[in-house]
Amino acid sequence: MMHIPFRVVFEQRGETPRRLSLLVPLASVFAALFFGALFLLATGHSPIDTYSNMFQDGFASFNGITDTLALSTVLICTGISAAFAFQMNLYNIGGEGQLYLGLIGGAWAGIALGDHLPTLMMVPLVLLCGALAGAAWIFVPAFVRSRLGTSEIVSTLLLTYIGASLIKHVIYTPGSFFRNPNTSFPQGRLVADSASLDSFGSSRLYPTFFVALIIAGALYWVVKRTEFGYRINVISDSPRAAHYAGINARRTTMWVMLISGALSGLAGAMLIVGPYGKIEPSIITLGYGYAGIVVAALARNNLGVIIVSGILFSGLRVGGNNLQVTTDTPIHIGVMLQGAILLFALGGEAFRRYHIHVVRVHDATVKKVAA
Amino acid sequence: MNENIWILMSADAIAIATTLILAALGALFTERSGVLNLGIEGILLTSAISSFLAADASGSVWLGLIVGSLIGALLASIHAVLSVVFRANQIVAGLALVIFGTGLANFLGKPAEGKTVTTVINPLSFGPLSDIPVIGPIVFGQDIITYFAIAVAIVASRYLFSTRPGLELRATGDDPATVDAQGLSVARIRIRYTMIGGALVGLGGSWLMLAQSAGWHQAATTNGLGWIALALVVFAGWRPMRIIFGAVLFGFTLQLPFTLQAEQITFIPSAFLEMLPYLATLIALIALSRPGNRNLLGAPRALGTPFVRDER
Repeated sequence: MMHIPFRVVFEQRGETPRRLSLLVPLASVFAALFFGALFLLATGHSPIDTYSNMFQDGFASFNGITDTLALSTVLICTGISAAFAFQMNLYNIGGEGQLYLGLIGGAWAGIALGDHLPTLMMVPLVLLCGALAGAAWIFVPAFVRSRLGTSEIVSTLLLTYIGASLIKHVIYTPGSFFRNPNTSFPQGRLVADSASLDSFGSSRLYPTFFVALIIAGALYWVVKRTEFGYRINVISDSPRAAHYAGINARRTTMWVMLISGALSGLAGAMLIVGPYGKIEPSIITLGYGYAGIVVAALARNNLGVIIVSGILFSGLRVGGNNLQVTTDTPIHIGVMLQGAILLFALGGEAFRRYHIHVVRVHDATVKKVAA
Repeated sequence: MNENIWILMSADAIAIATTLILAALGALFTERSGVLNLGIEGILLTSAISSFLAADASGSVWLGLIVGSLIGALLASIHAVLSVVFRANQIVAGLALVIFGTGLANFLGKPAEGKTVTTVINPLSFGPLSDIPVIGPIVFGQDIITYFAIAVAIVASRYLFSTRPGLELRATGDDPATVDAQGLSVARIRIRYTMIGGALVGLGGSWLMLAQSAGWHQAATTNGLGWIALALVVFAGWRPMRIIFGAVLFGFTLQLPFTLQAEQITFIPSAFLEMLPYLATLIALIALSRPGNRNLLGAPRALGTPFVRDER
């Protein structure tokens, strides 16, 4: 066997230096962009054109900024949905499916109840119904996870595919409640006027953006300052300590997962009162729920930082989506970069947690003896 | 009722099971070493489109299959390095791989959209054997990769439970500290089997493309097969032979919608039939998870946890 004259030593850090907490995520983003640039070069696209177009369309024009903030409304919600569960080591990766159900729940309220109530009551009602539908969609995974220990990872994900079929079903079935009865082409039925909000001026940004910010802030407060948040922290740090402290882990698991599902459902309902006004079947190809996982992981489940990573990622998506118009680069580079940034961030995480250094094998042996 | 359709359905169920068998075996090898790779769906997609492009450019399905498998191993190596060397959260790393793989596959697949595969894998012919009623099309009407997948499962079973390296592999997933004390490198074993697993998944994705889909339909090409494969490993109790059984079972749920449609049995809404494979997987998963069943089923004890030698 080949003899390697050096080895990499991982030394656990007692405390992470503050500068690394900021430096590592930034470096991961740049490393991923660099990797993306090499990939673009290799596939015959200009990285400079691609990136400058993405930046221009995502962050550096009025439409770009407002579109980015509009999309971030959804991504912040799905992001906190993922993070809220992840922080307790509950991997709800079915936010995508819960978002579909939020669309259905919200549209139901908007169509069925819309003509009887004023906007001031209707919009919160639509959001509430969407959140409830999202929570309902995660109920079975949450129940079997807390009672039987069934992996929530696979169960929530499988329900996403079932949710996608449901969306197709309610739109493509003739005579469906959610289908527009006046067109032969299958599309969603519009909700009542009282159930939809106006966007700001000429932009496509809706007031729901501020609702998302308020909810992120409120949950941050819940986690940091309330007894419920304290229970979550104890369980995630040490399930055994939580048990001895008399914390009911089952009930907390159940609640955390239901809240997580409700937040993804809320994201769907925000699309109903905001830009869509109906069930848009193309939602099943957009992956806003999956993007929430990336947003949460990049923010290391910190509900405050999610606002930043959510805006960053929607900028990437908005910029990426316009690429097809402005260059010949496929729009999918946006999603690919999301994945790459997360992969690099995960690698970078090691530099935050460990002091990594390369030592000669000879030195390492000496050190070990000395210790 | 047309009997032929049901025979064809059985044949197709076994055929579609090929991808599930290969992907689940890939996941099984990975998990037996103690690494949890949730990125199967992303690997399937990327290897599928890579095999398409390679077969299309070269005119050779074999080259397509090889490229697809290599891409599978390459993507799995990203997961291996992150999980084993950098000790990253394996769940998040696997999800990152799904997202990265989906974006990459769609990017690469842009020029392939709307095109069909020109060179495909054809079923083998066993002469008169293939003409036997019922058994002929089901047993002797498959292509070489389907037989290969079943052979891999049989060999894998022997390898895991009756050979020295198989024992080392199982030990790495159950009790890495002991393997380390034996002077073996836990890291090297884990990286090796994660990559072998990725190659098997990649072969499954390539086969799906070159024998089944005949075209690139973005994420719908695999449509969650990778996740079903992951559930299948749990269903099979981390045992290769049971994977064949489970895969054929799920193969039936995947084929049923097409058969019922051909039979013009329409009282069941098509949306429900579409949900069936996922629903069946979900129910199987819940039914299997009675308390205390985890050890009974044989989940590797160190699954998903990085190995850190206590150095001081």
